[in-house]
Amino acid sequence: MPKQKKAMPPVQQWAAPVLLGWLVPGAGHFYLKRWNHGGLLLFAIASMFIFGLLMRGRMFEPQTGDLFTTVIHCGGYLADVANGALYFLATWLGYQQQQMATAVADYGTKFLACAGLLNILAVIDAYEIAAGQKP
Amino acid sequence: MFLSLSHLQAALLFAFFASIVLGVVGRNTDKERIRYGVTVFGYFVAAIFGLGWLMYFGHG
Repeated sequence: MPKQKKAMPPVQQWAAPVLLGWLVPGAGHFYLKRWNHGGLLLFAIASMFIFGLLMRGRMFEPQTGDLFTTVIHCGGYLADVANGALYFLATWLGYQQQQMATAVADYGTKFLACAGLLNILAVIDAYEIAAGQKP
Repeated sequence: MFLSLSHLQAALLFAFFASIVLGVVGRNTDKERIRYGVTVFGYFVAAIFGLGWLMYFGHG
């Protein structure tokens, strides 16, 4: 028997934690009164982002060309933007680095992008809690 | 300020932060979360050393 699709919960039920969680890592969990989880997420994601900056990681900018370039640069840009306010503050305050040919800076670039990807996981978790799909 | 880390230090730092997030979002109870986070960190470390040695021997 085919599985029936669950109806999507109303937007007002999950919009606030999702938006807050994107803007500030862990804030979606704070909004849902999951203080410890929010604190851990904020610590881990913000630390990863800050270490990425300290390692002179570079923010991606959307760039098109061949498929590989498009996927790497547009995907990387989306991952950076997923850091929310951290990304906007860092670019606004001029922490956007020029590309450096060092292994540490390369690690830093990955730290910045992965912090954003981890924040997406945190936002999805906040959505699931708000929608009642997770205890 | 420029933070200069070795490959190992950077990879362990990455594993530490990623394990915290995966632990928090990956399971439903706090006990399971801690267990899962520690397990994921262990897998990260095993992969770091395993791939490191693989590259060492593969390089010739």
